[in-house]
Amino acid sequence: MTLVNALIGIAVLLVATVSIGVFLQWRQSRPRRHIPHEIVQPARLGADGLGETATLLQFSTEMCSRCPGVHRTLAGLADGRDGVRHLDIDVTHRPDIAKHFHILQTPTTLVLDRNGAVQTRFGGVPTRDVLELELDRLTRETADV
Amino acid sequence: MSDRSDAAARPRGIDPRGPRFAAGITALLLLVGVLLSLTGLSTAQTGFGWFAYQPLADAVLRPGVGWSIQSATIAQRALDPAFLLLLVIALLFLWGVLSPQTAPWGVLYRKVVQPRLKPSAELEDPRPPRFAQGVGLFVVTIGLVLHLAGVPWALPIAAAAAFVAAFLNAVFGLCLGCQLYLVLQRAGIIGRERPAAA
Repeated sequence: MTLVNALIGIAVLLVATVSIGVFLQWRQSRPRRHIPHEIVQPARLGADGLGETATLLQFSTEMCSRCPGVHRTLAGLADGRDGVRHLDIDVTHRPDIAKHFHILQTPTTLVLDRNGAVQTRFGGVPTRDVLELELDRLTRETADV
Repeated sequence: MSDRSDAAARPRGIDPRGPRFAAGITALLLLVGVLLSLTGLSTAQTGFGWFAYQPLADAVLRPGVGWSIQSATIAQRALDPAFLLLLVIALLFLWGVLSPQTAPWGVLYRKVVQPRLKPSAELEDPRPPRFAQGVGLFVVTIGLVLHLAGVPWALPIAAAAAFVAAFLNAVFGLCLGCQLYLVLQRAGIIGRERPAAA
């Protein structure tokens, strides 16, 4: 291959890589709401209960460098609100849990309502603002009942 | 309120910017590797010699035109510059897997770069970057073995795949352990020995 063709190949590779990066970052920050609203049983996850208003259910693994940061964000959110609980489930050695919730990347965060039903799903690093809005909504719903 | 299901003792934390700095250097080396492999033996076609320029090579399919690497000896394949560079990169990946504390780019970061930066706000687990080094080693090794076996395009494809991961790590903070660990586990390749623990 000539040098010119090789340099064109390099340029294509660079453009493709940056596109993948931008796409992944865009997809990560989007909450997903059109998902099965399954009722989560806390006992199956090794937890003793869920939050009275809402639960931030995080899934992590030991190989995940972004999970500790998300853990700090979610723990901070839960600490600042009554009735909101943060659960961080390590699925490194629990492929059964990962399979049940169709988790292929970590961190994955599920926002549960007061009944334990899955309301929203974040694949990747969720933004704090969007999480605040979700929790505000669930808090209002609980207050209305 | 916050709970962690597995509060096992974690290894001592590292500055998370170190692995990203190392990934940047690795990405640069891999890009040079892609360039060398595209201009070298791996993708060369026979005509009048390995590096012959063939203006009309793709216009007419002449009998006897094939990949240079298939007629090269093992020694010729091993002495290809792209092969040698990727071998060095593979050894650096191996170093990063076996002894992350002494790996050259990590040492360079701690000696030269870190003293000039503000202290890191948070220390992170060293296992995710180590896992990424292992994936890099695996991908580059496949390319090296296939190249030695005489497979054309093995080197540029392996180097490009490793480059994409290293570049995304350095620039976008992508973490291979986050994206790949559960996928590999689901496929039954890693970490199934203790399914019902915890």
